[in-house]
Amino acid sequence: MAALYVMIPVAVIVIALAIWLLFWAIDNGQYDDLDSPAHTILFDDEDPSHKAGLAEAERTDRSPRQDEDAPRV
Amino acid sequence: MATLTPCYHCGLPVPAGSHFQARVLDESRAMCCPGCQAVAEAIVASGLESYYKHRSENAANPEALPQALGEELALYDRPDVQQPFVRHDGELSTACLLIEGVSCAACGWLIEKHLRSLDGVADAGLNLSNHRLHVQWDARRLPLSRLLEALRQIGYAAHPYQPDRAAEQLARENRRALRQMGVAGLLWFQVMMATMATWPEFNLDLSAGMDKILRWISLILTTPIVFYSSSDFFRGAWRDLRTRHLTMDVSVSLAIGGAYAAGIWSTLTGQGELYFDAAGMFALFLLAGRFLERRARERTAAATAQLVNLLPPSCLRFDDKGHSERVLLRELRQGDLVLVQPGSLLPADGRVVAGQSSVDESLLTGEYLPQPRAPGDAVTAGTLNVESPLTVEVQALGDDTRLSSIVRLLERAQADKPRLAELADRVAQWFLLAMLGLAMAVGLIWWQIDPERAFWVVLALLVATCPCALSLATPTALTAATGALHRQGLLLTRGHVLEGLNGIDTVIFDKTGTLTEGRLALSAVHPLGELDSDACLALAAALENRSEHPIARAFGRAPQAAERVDVIPGQGLEGVVQGRLLRIGQPAFVAALQGQAAPPIPGERGQWLLLGDRQGPLAWLVLDDRLREDAATLLDACRARGWRTLLLSGDSSPMVAEVAGQLGIEDACGGLTPNDKLAVLRQLHAEGHRVLMLGDGVNDVPVLAGADISVAMGSATDLAKTSADAVLLSNRLEALVRAFDLAHRTRRIIIENLTWAGLYNGLILPFAALGWITPLWAAIGMSLSSLLVVLNALRLTRGS
Repeated sequence: MAALYVMIPVAVIVIALAIWLLFWAIDNGQYDDLDSPAHTILFDDEDPSHKAGLAEAERTDRSPRQDEDAPRV
Repeated sequence: MATLTPCYHCGLPVPAGSHFQARVLDESRAMCCPGCQAVAEAIVASGLESYYKHRSENAANPEALPQALGEELALYDRPDVQQPFVRHDGELSTACLLIEGVSCAACGWLIEKHLRSLDGVADAGLNLSNHRLHVQWDARRLPLSRLLEALRQIGYAAHPYQPDRAAEQLARENRRALRQMGVAGLLWFQVMMATMATWPEFNLDLSAGMDKILRWISLILTTPIVFYSSSDFFRGAWRDLRTRHLTMDVSVSLAIGGAYAAGIWSTLTGQGELYFDAAGMFALFLLAGRFLERRARERTAAATAQLVNLLPPSCLRFDDKGHSERVLLRELRQGDLVLVQPGSLLPADGRVVAGQSSVDESLLTGEYLPQPRAPGDAVTAGTLNVESPLTVEVQALGDDTRLSSIVRLLERAQADKPRLAELADRVAQWFLLAMLGLAMAVGLIWWQIDPERAFWVVLALLVATCPCALSLATPTALTAATGALHRQGLLLTRGHVLEGLNGIDTVIFDKTGTLTEGRLALSAVHPLGELDSDACLALAAALENRSEHPIARAFGRAPQAAERVDVIPGQGLEGVVQGRLLRIGQPAFVAALQGQAAPPIPGERGQWLLLGDRQGPLAWLVLDDRLREDAATLLDACRARGWRTLLLSGDSSPMVAEVAGQLGIEDACGGLTPNDKLAVLRQLHAEGHRVLMLGDGVNDVPVLAGADISVAMGSATDLAKTSADAVLLSNRLEALVRAFDLAHRTRRIIIENLTWAGLYNGLILPFAALGWITPLWAAIGMSLSSLLVVLNALRLTRGS
């Protein structure tokens, strides 16, 4: 039971952080458009710089795991 | 007509013999018009052709977008024009633009990629749900006009977006609702754990010190839920109590407030049961229900509440020396002379000084044929000049125009709009009265038996019977139904539509643009000579294809090309097709080619054009406004429900009676002004009728605003759309018929939900009254009944 004396303040701090994060996300407009992000991810494969990155990876024959995503423009 | 290949870009049929094509994705694709060809080529040229691979909808036809001239776009480079919507941040400028022509997610990708590839653009992001584009650019390297032009090249029109006060408030409220819900959710989970730990069901060996800590923690964590998240309930309850109404807010406030107050007392004394978790659950469930409903409505509002741009942003004014220069509308003064090009809107009320043309006033008056205008005639702001340039002397501007007087009529009508009582609120009223009476009776009885327990029994009763499910019953059903209707092309912008549809007994229709297509289409070809109708149509189309006149579009694309085409304003066209000199247009003009007298027009309905060559007249071509294909279905559905139907039109032609006869509409009136229409509505209201209005034009706007329920066509003017309760996005009247059915089903689901919520409360009541209900059972019962209500509402999203 003694653990609760530590766990309860920790829980309160975590919840305060979560609320702060939520407010930040809302004010930052993260919830303003819930439709586009679901679609834009599909187009990232077509990104020319992503394609260039893939081609580069193939040439230098690195393993696919190291193959980093091209920086987003 | 034979089946036509669809245009690769916009999906419209490609006319026979079209030579427009573009190479997309390594194949040559047929295009319907030079506009689509240019857009497709621009997209391919900027390396974005995978747009065509990923799009789920066809693109908008670029010719359907509002015309914008280069010099009009150049106006946007002036600092005073930019001032209201462009923010400067160091070297970068930021603006929000409203994009027209966005049809699917791929459009967003295309726009963002294309803009970011421009030199000088720092960032571009399109919000797909409200079609707003946030763009950041360096104004020294790239003027705004070039940016707008770049959007045009890939087939989108952009307008500066200035959030009005209502839109800003809506956005603020939304974020607040989301915050309140998030806080309630996050805190409730913690409160639930802390509170449950004190229950004997879960914890047998709780030390007294621990119990005290848990109670205090629950109290501290519940406080923001009550004072921050639930503040709207308390405010609503206070407002309703002052107006002597018992609503859902009152009972919710009572349960949350009661549970919280009792929790404070029990925390301070260390005795009694804790109901903090119940308070948190109410708050979260109710806030979630309201948030869902708000989002379903809002999505629609965002899509429709766009600029009310009935007037052109700029116009051509003659200066002292007789040169025309482009100025902003607000720079225009009374007495100025303006040049109105064919295809542009009139910027102000005024008098024609020079030129001869016809003016399309259909949106303002309901007249479906363009009206001829000559020097001396009055013209109205917001109408469309069709044929040839007009010079107009400005007589009234801004608030003094006829257009503004209609808008003022709208505001008056809105104030008179009857409010429909909502079912849930009516149920809540007697439910709450019964509950309070019972709680009092139970409290009194327990007072006699065991005064110690009386308070706790009454509290358990209030919490266990809090109409949580009751208040979720309506929002969940409405949200599900709103979503289902949206997919079918009917957008609800106000909450009362679904419930209100069940109370309707009278329907008012507008004619032009509502029951009919609202544009001239070729309805008949009557050959007069040796050529058959197809051949005559081909010749006419060849000539008309060279004209910018809106009527010319009715002829479709021609397989042949005409040469040496001359446009004679107000008369017609002359040109050579396959070496043959032809004229089309007014009978007298065409007959003059043969040196004969003009033949009399054989019919009266529609616009009759004569086609002829040197030898004589070849054919009559009749242009007319066609009935929508599903108009009859809609009228049948109205009759099946026993509703009275009325046709109120501003059109004074005999077509009103004809349409009414064809569709079997009982009462039809033509030639009505907006004021007359509103008077009819008032008369109907005075007789106690509940009225549904379906319309599209500016002249319908006052009635749309004043009717119990109003539906605007998707092709309607923005003003009509914003003043209506629902918008028929698809322009398919069938969707309305399905809405009638769905409204019926929604009502049934709401009643089922209310019945179930009432039943649950009735069931748990005796146990609560006997003092058997512990906080655990209250929590289980409430969750279960709420879940059932939500699942039942979800049935509305399935099937149609």
